[in-house]
Amino acid sequence: MILILLAALWLLTLLLDIFVVERIFDPLGYLYIALGIVALLYVVWPLYTGRRLVQYYWQRVKRNRLAVVGLAFILFLILLALFGPLFTADPTAVNFEEKNIPPVGFSIEESVYSAETGQFITKTASGTWEHPLGTDNKGRDLLAMLVSGAGVSLQVGLLATGIAVALGTLIGVVSAYLGGKVDNILMRFTDIMMTFPFFLLLVFIVFIFGPSLAFIVLVIGLTGWTGVARLIRSEALSLRTREFILAAKALGASDGRIILAHLVPNVISLIVVIATLSIPGVILAEAALSFIGLGDPSVTSWGMILRAGQQSLDVTWWVAVVPGVMLFLTVLAFNFVGDGLRDAFDPRSNV
Amino acid sequence: MKGRLKILLLLLASVCLLASACQPAKEVGGVFISGTSAGDAETLNWILAADSASFGYAGHTVDSLVTYDNEWRVQLRTAARDVEVSDDGLVYTVTIRDDLMWSDGSRVTAEDYVYTLESLMFSDWLNYPYKSDWQEEVGGEAVFVTPQVVDETTFTITRQTVYPEFIYTVRGLVPYPKYIAVKYEGDVEAFTQAPEFNNLTYTGNLGPYKFKEWLRNDKFVVERNPEYYLGKDTGAPYFGQYIVKLFGTSATAHAALEAGDITYTDIDPDKVSKFKKMEGINVYTVPTTGYLFLAYNLRDNGWEGLKIKEVRQALSLAISKGLIIEQVLYGFGEPAFSFIPRVSPCYVDEGIAKYGVEPLLDKEEAKGLLINAGYDKPLTLTLVTNAGNDERENIGYLVKEELGAIGIEVELKFVPWATLLRKYLMNKTPGTDEEPRYNNGAGAVSEEPWDLMVMGFSTNPLSPSGQDVFYSTKGGLNFFGYSNTQVDELFRRAKSEEALDEGARKELYAELSRVISEEQPVDFLAFQLANAAFQKKVKGIEPGINMGYNYHLWYFE
Amino acid sequence: MRKTWLRDYIIKRLFYAVIIAWGILTITFVLVRVGPSSPADKYLSNLAARGEDPAQVTAAIEARYGLDKPIHEQYFNYIGNLVRGDWGWSFSTSMPVIELIKTHWIYSFQLILFSTILAALAGILIGIYSAVRQYSKTDYIATFFSFIGISIPNFWLGVMLILLFAVQLGLFKTYYDTSIPLFSLGNLKQLILPVVTLGTGMMAGYTRYTRSAMLDNLRKDFVRTARAKGLPETTVIGKHVFRNAVLPLVTIIMFDLGSIVFGGAYLTEIIFGIPGLGRISFNAIFADDYAVVVAVTLISAFLVLFINLATDIAYAYLDPRIRYD
Repeated sequence: MILILLAALWLLTLLLDIFVVERIFDPLGYLYIALGIVALLYVVWPLYTGRRLVQYYWQRVKRNRLAVVGLAFILFLILLALFGPLFTADPTAVNFEEKNIPPVGFSIEESVYSAETGQFITKTASGTWEHPLGTDNKGRDLLAMLVSGAGVSLQVGLLATGIAVALGTLIGVVSAYLGGKVDNILMRFTDIMMTFPFFLLLVFIVFIFGPSLAFIVLVIGLTGWTGVARLIRSEALSLRTREFILAAKALGASDGRIILAHLVPNVISLIVVIATLSIPGVILAEAALSFIGLGDPSVTSWGMILRAGQQSLDVTWWVAVVPGVMLFLTVLAFNFVGDGLRDAFDPRSNV
Repeated sequence: MKGRLKILLLLLASVCLLASACQPAKEVGGVFISGTSAGDAETLNWILAADSASFGYAGHTVDSLVTYDNEWRVQLRTAARDVEVSDDGLVYTVTIRDDLMWSDGSRVTAEDYVYTLESLMFSDWLNYPYKSDWQEEVGGEAVFVTPQVVDETTFTITRQTVYPEFIYTVRGLVPYPKYIAVKYEGDVEAFTQAPEFNNLTYTGNLGPYKFKEWLRNDKFVVERNPEYYLGKDTGAPYFGQYIVKLFGTSATAHAALEAGDITYTDIDPDKVSKFKKMEGINVYTVPTTGYLFLAYNLRDNGWEGLKIKEVRQALSLAISKGLIIEQVLYGFGEPAFSFIPRVSPCYVDEGIAKYGVEPLLDKEEAKGLLINAGYDKPLTLTLVTNAGNDERENIGYLVKEELGAIGIEVELKFVPWATLLRKYLMNKTPGTDEEPRYNNGAGAVSEEPWDLMVMGFSTNPLSPSGQDVFYSTKGGLNFFGYSNTQVDELFRRAKSEEALDEGARKELYAELSRVISEEQPVDFLAFQLANAAFQKKVKGIEPGINMGYNYHLWYFE
Repeated sequence: MRKTWLRDYIIKRLFYAVIIAWGILTITFVLVRVGPSSPADKYLSNLAARGEDPAQVTAAIEARYGLDKPIHEQYFNYIGNLVRGDWGWSFSTSMPVIELIKTHWIYSFQLILFSTILAALAGILIGIYSAVRQYSKTDYIATFFSFIGISIPNFWLGVMLILLFAVQLGLFKTYYDTSIPLFSLGNLKQLILPVVTLGTGMMAGYTRYTRSAMLDNLRKDFVRTARAKGLPETTVIGKHVFRNAVLPLVTIIMFDLGSIVFGGAYLTEIIFGIPGLGRISFNAIFADDYAVVVAVTLISAFLVLFINLATDIAYAYLDPRIRYD
C-alpha cells in the first residue's frame, strides 16, 4: 500500500516539476522519465508482485527504530520539497530593506556608519515570524531558500544515484556473466575510473564545461558508478553458477534475457541498499561543488547558501548554520535507512 | 674668562647644530603585513603579465621613472628630472639618475631602457601585453615610436604624431637588465622560465625592498634594501620586511586585521563601521579610479528603443544613483555622470547633465519621455551581469526595482564571467566568418541577446582620453556599440596637438563630458570609494587617491 | 614456490599499474585540452581594449607556453618530459610544476598524517570498547556518534568549528599561518581545527568497522578456547581478537588514505587556508593551468595504486591462506 503511495508521490513530483513549479529542467525532465521507466520495470513491478516478501522485509525494517525515524524524515523532506514552495516566499525575492535579519528569538545589534554624516547609527534587528529563519545579506528569506534547496538536493540525489546505480549494475552484471576477456577489460576500465581522484575530476569537468544542474547530475552519476559495479559484480559472480541460471541457459534463453530478466532482479536487494547509501554521497558532492562556487547559479542549493554564509560568518552566522544542519540531517536519515535496509536484507543478522 | 665663555658658546652652538642635523632616528625594523583576498600574482617576470597583482609585487623591488602624489604632482624616482617634451610635442627626453645599479654592480644606463623598449616590448617574439601603448597610427598603420640612446643617462623617444598624454606612459617606464635579457632574446619559452626574472635577482638598488620569498597562494615576502637609492638621505625604508599575505575570503582578512596579525587590508563597505569603532585601527576612505555603470545594448540584438537618446535619458532619469550608493556601496561612492572622476585634474562640473540625482530624478518624467518616444506598452528587458560579484548583482536587483516602478519589467541573468565575455561582450557580424571581437563594427551582434548590463571599468584620471576604447566608434572595447561622430571628434582632438595646451585640453574634456552626460551611451552610476584600514602604529600615511606613493617613508611608532 | 608466485604477481600488478597510470594521464590531458577556455582568456579583455585581435592574442599567448603545437605533439612531449623528470611549467604561478609540488606537499601531508593518526587511534579504541561492551549505553552512544560522524558534511563542520572556536570564542586564528615553523607547538595548535574536521568522518568509519570486525571475531571458537584456558580478558581481546581484526582494518585505512587526499582534505585546505596540494590544484583548475592539474591527478593516482599494491602484497605475505590468481 505504502509503496503504491510512494510511486504515486514520485509521479506527482515529476508532473509538478514540469508543469506547476516554474523551474523547467528540460534535460532533467528527460532523465526523470528515463529513470522512471527503469524504476517501474525493476522496482515497482517486482515490489507489486512480490508483496508477501515485501511485507516480510518491511517487518524487519520496522524493528530498527533509527531506520524508521530516517524514513520519516525523508518523507518529510519530500513533502517539503513538493509543497513547501506553495507556502513560503519566493527564494529569489531580494529585498534590501530586510537584509541580515536573524532567526526568530535572536536579535543582533548592527551599527551602521553613514558616509555622509560620519556618524554611527545603531540599529537592532530581531527575528520575526515573517522570516522565521532569518534573511541573508540580500534580504532573501532563508526558509524559502532551504525549501528550494531541499528540492534540488533530492533531485540530484535521486537522479545522479539512479544513473550511477544503473550504470554500475549493468557493467557489474555484464562483466560477471560474460566473464573472460570482457570481464578483464571492463574491470581494468573500472580500475582506471576508481583511481581517479573523484572530487578533483568533478571540479575539473564542471569548471570546463559550465555549471548547469542537469550537467552536474550527469557528471556525478557518470563518475560515481565504480563502487556499485564492483559490489554488484561480486554478487553476480556468485549467482552465475546457481541452478536457475543454468536452467534458463539450458532452455535456450539468450544472454541478454538472462542478464535482464534473471540476474538483475536477483541483485535488487543489494542494489537498493547500495543506492540508499550512495544518495548521501551524491548530495554532499553537489553541495561541495556549490560551496566552492561551481554550482548552478540559477538554482538555490544548500551548498550555495552555505558559501554565502561562510563569507560573512561574523555577521550572519545563521546563514551558515542552518543549511548545514539540513544537509547533515538529510545525510543522517539516508544513512539510518540504508543501514536498516542492509540489516533487514541480511539473513544472518538477527533483527 | 672671555676666552672660556667663547669656547663654551662654541661648544653649545656645535651641539645644537649637531642635534638639529641628526634627526630622531626612525626605528628601522618590524614587519609590515598587507592582507589581500583579491588573488595571487601570476608572475614576477612582469613584462609578461597582464594582472595588476604581478606589477604590484615586482613594483616593490624596482621603481618607475616618476610617480604622483595625491594631488597628481610629479614625484621623481629613477628619473633625475621630469620627462621633457619638445615644443612640437614629438620628442620626449628622459634623463635618469646616475646612481642606479643592478645587482651585479653595473650601472643602470639609458641603454637598458632603450633595450627594454626596442628589443623586448616592441618585439614580436615576446608579445608584450601593453605594446599598443607605444604605437601610433601613421598612414593607416600602427607603428612603434622610436627610442634612441643619447648618452649614459639620457635617451629620447620620438613620435611622428602628437599625443599629449603619451607622457604618462613614458613616465611609468621600468627597465629590464640588458646584460641578462640578451641571453634569452628570441626564445619566449626560455624568457618565461628565466630564473633571474622569476626571482627578481637583478634588482640592485632600484627599489625599497629586495625579493626574499614567494610561497604561492600564501604570501609574498620582500626584505629591506639598505642600498635603496632614495634611502641614502632618509634611511628609508623603515620596515625590515614587507609581506603580502593572501586570504581566501575578505572575512578572514578582516579577522586577521582585527586580531592584529596583519597591518593593513581593504575593508568591505559593510564592515567599515565595525572597524571604525576599533581602538587600534585607522580607517581611511579614499577615492579609487573604478566606476560602475549600466550599459545599454545599442547593437541590433538589443531593445531598439535603446538606440534613441531620449529613451536612454528616460531610463537614466528613473534610476536613482543615491539609492544605489546607499544600498549597495553603503555610502562609499560618488555619483558618476561621465567617465571623468572628481579627483581628476580634467574634471569639470558645470554643464554636466546629472541624471539620476535630483532634480534629474523623476520617474513620472521618465514615463512621459518613454510615451513620447512611442513606447507606452508594457516592456520586458534582460539585464545581465557576472555571477558571484555581490556589488553588481545587487545593482541588478535595484535597477530591476527602479525600472519596475516605471512599468518596465527586468529579467535578471547572472552568468559566470567567462560566459559573459564570450557570449555577451564579444560580437561578430551575423552571416560572416569573422573572428568574434569586442567590437566588430556597427552590424555586429553578440551571441546572446541582452538589453542592460552592469559593468565596471577603471579610468586613468590623468589621461581620460584612454577611455576612447570604450566610447569611440572604433574603440576596441566598445562592446555596447555606441557611435557618435561628435564624441569621436572630441576624442581625436584631445589626443592631438591641440591638446598640448593645458587650457585647451581641459576645455575639450569639459565639452566631452557634457556631450557624454547628455548622450547617456551608458548610465554612469558611481565612482567607488575604498576603505583602507591600518593598525594605528603605522605613521606617515597620507590618505588620498595615490596614498601608496610615499609608502617607503612609512614607519612604526 | 610461494616466493616466485608472489614475484610474478607483483610484476603483473606493476604492469597493470602502468597501464592505469597511462590511461589516467591520457584522459586528463584530453579533458584539459578539450575545454573551451584557454590561458589567454584573462589577457583578452585587457588587450582587446587596445584593438588587438583576440584570435591573434590567443595564438601569441599560447605560443609562449608551447600550447600552439599540434595536440599529439604536445602529448608526446609531455610524456617524454615526464619520464625524464620534467613535469612542465605552471604558468599560473610561474614556477616549475615540480617546485610547486615540492614546496606545498608538506602541508597536505601533515594534515593527512595527523588526521589519520587521530582517526585511527580514536576509532579503534572506541570500536574495541564498543564491541566488548556490546549493547551497553556506551555502545549505543558510540554507535550514534559514529553515525553522526559519517553524516556530517565535513566542509560544514569546518565552517562551524571556525565559527565557534575562532570567531566566537577567539581561541584559534581563522586562517593558517605559514610563518609558524612546521615543527613547533604553535603549528600543532593551529592544526587542531583542520585535523578534527578531517578526522571526524574517518574516525566514524573506523569505529564502525572495528566494532563489527571485533564482534565477528568475538563469536568465534578460538575465543572460547582462549577463555577456557584461563587467559586474562585483556589478553584475549588485545592479543587474539584484535589481531584477527587488524588486517582488514589496515586495508581500510590504507584505502581511505588514497581517497582522502583529494576528497575531504581538499575542502578542508580551502576552508582553513592551508596551502597544500588540494588548494594548489583547485586554483590551478580555475586558472586553466593544465600542467598542474595533470601532475596532481597523476600523483594522487600513483598514491592510490601504490597503496593498493602495497596492501595487497602485505596481505598475501602475512596471511599464508591468501593466494591471488
